[in-house]
Amino acid sequence: MKEITKKKQRDTFLGRLKANKELLLLSTPGAIWFFLFAYLPLFGILVAFKKYRITGDGFFYNLFTSETVGYENFKFLFSSGDAWIIVRNTVLYNAVFVVLGVAIPVVLALLLNEIKNKGMMKIYQSSMFLPYFLSWVVVSYCVFAFLNPEKGYFNAIIQQFGGNPVSWYAEKSYWPFIIIFMSQWKGMGYNTVVYLASICGIDNTYYEAAVLDGAAKWQQIKYITLPLLKPVITILLIMAVGGIFKADFGLFFQLPRDSGPLYPVTNVLDTYIFRALKTNGEIGMSSAAALFQSTVGFILIMIANKIVSKVDNENALF
Amino acid sequence: MAKKNKETIGYNQIKSSTNIVFNIILGLLSLVCIIPFLFVIIISITDEQSLAMNGYWFIPEKLSLYAYQYIMNAGESIIRSYGVTILVTVLGTIIGLLLTGTYAYALSRKSYAYRKFFTKVITIPMLFSGGMIANYLIVTQVLMLKDTIWALILPICMNSFNVIVLRTFFKTSIPDAVVESAKIDGASEWRLFFQIVVPMALPGLATIGLFLTLGYWNDWFNAMMYIDDSKLMPLQYMLIRIESSIDFLASNKSMMGVDGVEAAANLPKETIKMAIVVISTLPIIFAYPFFQRYFVNGLTVGAVKE
Amino acid sequence: MKFGLLKRLAAVSMAAVMVIGTMTGCGKSGSEKNKNGDEVVELVWYQVGDPQKDQEKVIEKANEYLVDKIGVRLKVNSVGWGDYNQKMQVVINTGDNWDLCFSCSWANDYLQNANKGAFLVLDDYLEKDGKEMYESIDPKFWEAAKVKGKTYGVPSEKEIGSMPMWVFTKEYVDKYKIPYEKIHTLEDLEPWLKIIKEKEPDVVPMYLTKDYTAPTYMDKIQDPIGIEYGDDTLTVKNVFETDKMKSTLKTMRKYYEAGYINKDAATASDDKAQKRFVTKGDGQPYAELVWGKDLGYEVVASPIMDTYVTNASARGALTAINAQTKNPEKAVALLNLINTDEYLRNLLNYGIEGEHWEKAEVPAEEAETAKGKPYIYDTKVKLNEETRKDYSVAYWVQGGLFGTYVLENEPIDKWATFKEFNDASEVAPSFGFDFNLDPVSTQVAGFRNVLDEFGKSLYTGSVDLDEYLPKLQEKLKATGVDEVIEEMQKQIDEWQKSEK
Repeated sequence: MKEITKKKQRDTFLGRLKANKELLLLSTPGAIWFFLFAYLPLFGILVAFKKYRITGDGFFYNLFTSETVGYENFKFLFSSGDAWIIVRNTVLYNAVFVVLGVAIPVVLALLLNEIKNKGMMKIYQSSMFLPYFLSWVVVSYCVFAFLNPEKGYFNAIIQQFGGNPVSWYAEKSYWPFIIIFMSQWKGMGYNTVVYLASICGIDNTYYEAAVLDGAAKWQQIKYITLPLLKPVITILLIMAVGGIFKADFGLFFQLPRDSGPLYPVTNVLDTYIFRALKTNGEIGMSSAAALFQSTVGFILIMIANKIVSKVDNENALF
Repeated sequence: MAKKNKETIGYNQIKSSTNIVFNIILGLLSLVCIIPFLFVIIISITDEQSLAMNGYWFIPEKLSLYAYQYIMNAGESIIRSYGVTILVTVLGTIIGLLLTGTYAYALSRKSYAYRKFFTKVITIPMLFSGGMIANYLIVTQVLMLKDTIWALILPICMNSFNVIVLRTFFKTSIPDAVVESAKIDGASEWRLFFQIVVPMALPGLATIGLFLTLGYWNDWFNAMMYIDDSKLMPLQYMLIRIESSIDFLASNKSMMGVDGVEAAANLPKETIKMAIVVISTLPIIFAYPFFQRYFVNGLTVGAVKE
Repeated sequence: MKFGLLKRLAAVSMAAVMVIGTMTGCGKSGSEKNKNGDEVVELVWYQVGDPQKDQEKVIEKANEYLVDKIGVRLKVNSVGWGDYNQKMQVVINTGDNWDLCFSCSWANDYLQNANKGAFLVLDDYLEKDGKEMYESIDPKFWEAAKVKGKTYGVPSEKEIGSMPMWVFTKEYVDKYKIPYEKIHTLEDLEPWLKIIKEKEPDVVPMYLTKDYTAPTYMDKIQDPIGIEYGDDTLTVKNVFETDKMKSTLKTMRKYYEAGYINKDAATASDDKAQKRFVTKGDGQPYAELVWGKDLGYEVVASPIMDTYVTNASARGALTAINAQTKNPEKAVALLNLINTDEYLRNLLNYGIEGEHWEKAEVPAEEAETAKGKPYIYDTKVKLNEETRKDYSVAYWVQGGLFGTYVLENEPIDKWATFKEFNDASEVAPSFGFDFNLDPVSTQVAGFRNVLDEFGKSLYTGSVDLDEYLPKLQEKLKATGVDEVIEEMQKQIDEWQKSEK
């Protein structure tokens, strides 16, 4: 009975509004926030197509009167002879981060969840969170203390064992590993939380049933925990794919101390853009760079979402 | 009920040998994470002179609490900054949780007719933004938030990422059956959300709450942009400002010459910087266990049914 | 298609903002009058440098004076060194509420902002409200402040040229009786580096850090291209193509291989614990004192080359006024007062007398010898050790140095010496020429990446010259260095024609 009247109401616009009144009310505050803080500023994108000049009072007056230059502001992104290397670095590093950013935290969450002494679990978890609080500048100090070619701990140890000291900041072959290691080191505590929380959210009755059926621990993980984590993993993966053209600036700039010989393995889009615009504060160019990165990310998210929704519609983004 | 749970958990445990291996792995990882922080603490209590003479070392030659004394003497401003940071973090986390929670909950409901539309609304901002200049214009000239505490709270109280993660939590941890049965009992969406959904999704909410707390605690960008009044400076920005000032003066040495050397001489020294890192990080470490307890205490569906 | 949607969204958002903007736009009400019956206006001044604890107190004190004198209430916003560029870009481009700001060649770029139309053209005002300061500041500074014939900022009078110097640790100079005053070129250093290397194993003979630039005999108008000093034909060159730089780099490499230079030079930041014999500094008169204080031991210095005045060096510090300010006359009057009024200048510079500093007597003997020189005051400044850290601003951010008292331990004729130094500095042939990089902005954007990748390693001699210099050239070529040289040559030829 109820079901039928509901159907009828839904047919008209007003009726639909009425039927969803309460939920609509719940989404309104958030929607207002998105309108104010995310949609209103979107006009800024137009700056990317302008050569912004100040001719009068107010930003909009200036925006209108500034010359429209089409895609001129985007050109610098591709003008460098290294454009290919820079894009390659950005994409490859991020691809590795996307994969490790799921694999390591999921494994850690499982380990943490399984260990018997819950007190220790809290200590482990808290300490793994520490790196997240240190800025890349501070981290780079610490790393420098180890890698300093003259006084660093590493070279001291190497020499102790009769090896030749390494000039770490000039030898690019080590850096892909250092960068990947440090990025995971800094993020693992943070990333583990989502998975750990998801595992906690799993209904215990599933495990109880499994135990009664005599399932071993790893079978429970394989057949219960991981499948139930799948929605979270999928969503986080899709979103991570969108960031594949954006790099963590501090990781690639502060950590290697902006050392020239390392550029072939540390120069990524964000560092390139930073250096390019250091001499030339054209706001059109910085907007253009951001727009380029976002657009590529957006296309990738759309593709990833399409693929997911084909395979498993339930877990797609939308 | 609780007893029953404990029993099953007790029964369903890993072998002791596996437990030891796991502990070793986690212990080593934790160590790697703690060492740099120890390093920071040690620098902060090293004598400035001996630091200058001998460089960084794990075992300081001469101890000194000078850095902490310096900060305590600077007194007022540090304590006020602490206050600003704590206020912003607490208010921001609460507001953020409310906004994110209600929005994500609506999105998680299959029967919601505008679900598709509101999901689309959050996908564009996930990647596209108007940029620094446009944001500044909105916050200062449209919303008039410049030099107010709201400029530190509102711009980052929500984001698409948190909404989507929380929506996924709601979807996976709250079975449709529970919602449907509550609806049949005549519960309003408000009641449903606050009395049934929230308690069931505590681990998810705690996760988002933690993310928000960390985000607020570590935020300095909004302070740099929107705050000129030194009374509203959060702790993190004080630290970042010192760091970036030192960096700027060092890298513009050839342009600034002696002027740069003089300006740098007025900035706090290494030990003080590290001491600020320590005092700005310590309190937030304790915030973590606060959220953590909701991870183990997440109620199960069975509990609600009973 | 998605892009079209985005553009539409952007346009809609703009319309929305404009509507809301007009609704919320509020006017400031209530005008204050001073005792002369003039209206008092508030002027907002953005300055570079970390905010000071006692700033408000000092500004309040200054306001007591300013309100009655010129009807101005000052509000100073200090922005940290590292954030100043970014913050000012936002403040200026959004047309935020500001009246004055610090600008120069190395932060909040003077030339770019002037070209962009952000700054007020001051020439007319300098004949009226700013007449006094216009006459008191060295014309060379005013000349440097001109962009395409118009003045956009009030220069802070200080040292006008940059003086690259070798800075020696006095201990070793004394020990080995090194005639440091006779050492100028890079090559002059060699025998002494050798001696130090042999006799002092703990000491790095030549200590270099990542910000080091090998001695450059050129005005790099747009790094790496510019005009060599003394080249009156005004031929635009790439610095790495010049014979002088090539031989300099060769020498650097030789020193590096001989072990005279620290191994980590290309990435090191100044480690004061490191004992060194010589390093390079960019100096000014009495710079030894500053460096010595910074390092904690005495140093002596010798100039590497003659001092040249370039646009960049003469635009070391300026204050510009917002082109959209509602009170241009008052802003000019304020700068005029700061640059000419002894009380106000020293108040803003050192803080409140009796609280942050005391007057200190000038020894009679010293006063006697300084007689007749310009910029001599009848008092010196003794800073209060307790409170000085609560108010220490960079002296040249607010106004010229020559209007300030000197510190207790400084010679009373310090500014007179600066003035002599400025008068003696030679003007680079390219002085006064501004490069408009609009036509080649894409190419120029690529330079920094190439220069940062190879520059530091080459300057410090850390890498093989024969391998890396060609690599650098090749990459610069790929980025379009030739087009930029061509463009600059074209512009400079036109400039030369119009000048003569």
